Amino acid sequence: MDKLKANLKSLYPHFHRQSDEHLNPYYTFQDYRQIWGVGIFFLMATALMPLIAMTLICYQLVNQSIDTESLLRAERLASNSRRAVTFFLEERLAALTFTVNEMGYERLTDPSRLEEVLRNLKLGFGGLTDLSVIDDSGTQVAYAGPFNLEGKDYSRQPWFIECQRHNACVSEIFSGYRDVPHIVVAVKSMQPEGRFFVLRATLETERLIQTLSSYKTGEHTDIFLTNREGVMQTPSRFYEGKLNRLTIPLPTYSDHTEALIASDPQGQPIVMGYAFIDTKIAPTSFVLMVVKKKAGMMKVWLDLRSNINWLLIVSAVVIALVVFLTSSFMVNKMFDADREKARTMVAAEQNCQLASIGQLAAGVAHEINNPLALINETAGYVKDLFTIKEQYRDDPELIEHIDSIIETVERCGTITRQLLGFSRRFDVQIQPINLEKMVSDVINFHKKEAEYRDIAIHVDIPATVPLIETDRGKLQQIILNLVSNAFQATDNGGRLAIRADLNGTEHVRLTIRDNGCGISEEHLNKIFEPFFTTKKEGKGTGLGLSITYGLVKKLHGDITVQSKQGKGTTFVVTLPIHTEKGFNA
Amino acid sequence: MKRYDILIVDDEQRYATMLANRLTLRGLTCQVRYDGRTAIDIVETDFFAWVILDLRLPDCYGVEVLTQIKAISPETKVIILTGHGTEQDRKQCLALGAHAFVNKPLDIGRMIAIMEQDKA
Repeated sequence: MDKLKANLKSLYPHFHRQSDEHLNPYYTFQDYRQIWGVGIFFLMATALMPLIAMTLICYQLVNQSIDTESLLRAERLASNSRRAVTFFLEERLAALTFTVNEMGYERLTDPSRLEEVLRNLKLGFGGLTDLSVIDDSGTQVAYAGPFNLEGKDYSRQPWFIECQRHNACVSEIFSGYRDVPHIVVAVKSMQPEGRFFVLRATLETERLIQTLSSYKTGEHTDIFLTNREGVMQTPSRFYEGKLNRLTIPLPTYSDHTEALIASDPQGQPIVMGYAFIDTKIAPTSFVLMVVKKKAGMMKVWLDLRSNINWLLIVSAVVIALVVFLTSSFMVNKMFDADREKARTMVAAEQNCQLASIGQLAAGVAHEINNPLALINETAGYVKDLFTIKEQYRDDPELIEHIDSIIETVERCGTITRQLLGFSRRFDVQIQPINLEKMVSDVINFHKKEAEYRDIAIHVDIPATVPLIETDRGKLQQIILNLVSNAFQATDNGGRLAIRADLNGTEHVRLTIRDNGCGISEEHLNKIFEPFFTTKKEGKGTGLGLSITYGLVKKLHGDITVQSKQGKGTTFVVTLPIHTEKGFNA
Repeated sequence: MKRYDILIVDDEQRYATMLANRLTLRGLTCQVRYDGRTAIDIVETDFFAWVILDLRLPDCYGVEVLTQIKAISPETKVIILTGHGTEQDRKQCLALGAHAFVNKPLDIGRMIAIMEQDKA
C-alpha cells in the first residue's frame, strides 16, 4: 500500500521544490522544470502532430470523395429519371404513331372508332384524357373524350405549328382552356393526296409527376422539370419561385446528363444533376433537374467527423496524460537520483574533511608529543634538583610552579594520546556482544554520579534485540562517551533514556536521549568535528564526539544527532548486526 | 665487563640526557645512546639491568634493537618508552620479551615503581 502511494507520489512533479540549497553545486542539472517542460513539449509534439495531420488529411479526402460521390449520384439519378421521362413520352408517341398509321384518316374520324381507340389506349397506357383528329388547316375534325370541342381551331397553337415542322410534337405543360395541367402530344400522318392530319392526345401530368416522385430519395432530394426558359413544369419542393420561375440558375445546354455543384439562393451548396430531354420522335423543351442539398448528404460525414473529432480529443487527452505522467515520473526519478548523488557528495566532502582533520591531528600529536616529553623531563629534572638536593626543598612556590608545568604537560599528553587514538587504525576484534549487558556495565561507571546528582536512568533494551557482532572495546567506548556526554549536558535531577531496537533486519539502533541543555542549531553540524567544544577552556578537549564518530564508522555504523536547545539531545547509533571477521576498519 | 643499572636509548639527545640525569639523581647508574647500532654495541660489552628503549630511532626500528638485546643479554629487562606507540606495537613488544610499554610524556614515579616492583 505504501509502495503504491510512493509510486503514485512519484508521478507528481516534486522536483521544483528545492529547499536544500547547500546541495545545489552537486546537481548535474540545475533546472528540472525546464527539462520536464521541454520533454513534455517534444513528446506531445511528436505524438500529436501525426495524429492531427492524419485527421486533416482524412477531412480533405472525405470532402473530396463526398463531392465526387454526390456528383456521381446526382448524375445517375438524373440519368435514370431522364430515361423514365423519355420513356413515358416516347411510349405514348409511339402508340399514337402506330395508331395513325394503322387506322388511317377515314377510320379515325369515325367518332365511334375514335372512342374505341381512346378506350384501348387508356387500357394500355392510362393517363390519357382525350383524343382528337385535326386536319391540316388546324381544325378539329373528330374528338373522343369528356370535353367535346369539335370544330375548334388549333392552327395558332405552338404545338400544332411544331407538329407541322417535325412529324410529332410534345407540348410544354400548360393548363389550356380547361385550366388543368396537361401535356399535348401529337403525331402527323400524311394522306395519299399530299395533305396531312394530326392525331392529338391530352396526357394527364399526374402520371409523370408520380414517375418523377418515385425517384426521389431522401429528404433533401428534389426532382422536377422546367422548360428551357426556367419556367417550372412540375412542382418543386424547394426551388419554385414567383410566377413559376426557377429560383436557381438554369444550367447551360448539354446533350448528356450532367452534374455540378452550385449554390441555392440562401448560399447553401447544392449538387445539381440535369438533362435536356429529347425523345427519338420529337424534341421537347423539358429540362429534368435533380437537386440535392449538400448539407443533407454531409450528414453521414458530419457524424463520422464528430466521431473522428471525439477520437482525436480523447487520444490527445490520453496522450497528454501519459506524457505528463511519464515525464513527471522520469524527471522525478532523475531528480531523486541526482539529489541522492548530491547528498552523497556532500557527505563524502564532510567525511573527507573529517578524515583530513584526523590526519592533521595525528601529525600535530606526533610533533607535539616529543617536545612535551622533553618539557616534562626537564621540569622533572629541575624538580628533582630542588627536592633531592634539599637546598631548595623548602621553597614551596618553586615546587608548585614546576608541578604546574608537569601537570600541564600531562594534560597535553592526554590530548595527544586521544588525537592519536582518533586517527589511528586499530585492529578490530569481532565478537558477539549482548547490548543490554554492555549498557548496564557502562551505567555502572556512572552509578555513583547518577545517585549523587539525582539523575534518573531508564534503560529499555527488549529481548528481541539480538547479539551483535562487533568490537567490544570500541562499542564500550562509544557508549561510554555518549553517556558521559549526556551526564555533562544534564542538570541535577535530569533524565537519561537508553533504548535499543531493531532497525530493519540487519541493523540495531541504539538511542541515547537526555533532557539536558541541548545543542544550538549552529553547533549541531559541527559537533563531530575534532576540537569543537562549547565547554570552558581546559574542561574539554573537543575530541570526545569526533572520536566517537570515528569509532562508529570503524564499526561500519552510523551516528546521527537531534537536539533542541533547552529540551535535550538524542544520539542515535546504528550498528550492523553482522560484521565480517577480520575486517580492518 | 662493567655493570650499569640503566641504558637509555633515544634519538632525542636532550631528552635522553635529562632522563639520565633524573635517574642518576635517584642513585642509579646510567648510560645514554642515541641510535640502535651503538646501543647494541654497548650491550655486547657491558651489562645493563634495564634498558629504556625508544621505538623510533634514526638508524633502525626499536623492535629490532629489542630483539637483539634480548638475544645478547636475556637477563636485561627492557622498558619501551615511546611517544607514538600503538596497541599493535605494545602487543608485539611484549611478545618479544619487553618488560613494559610506557608512553611519553613519562611519569618518572611510575617508571621507578615498575623497577621497584620487579626488584621486590
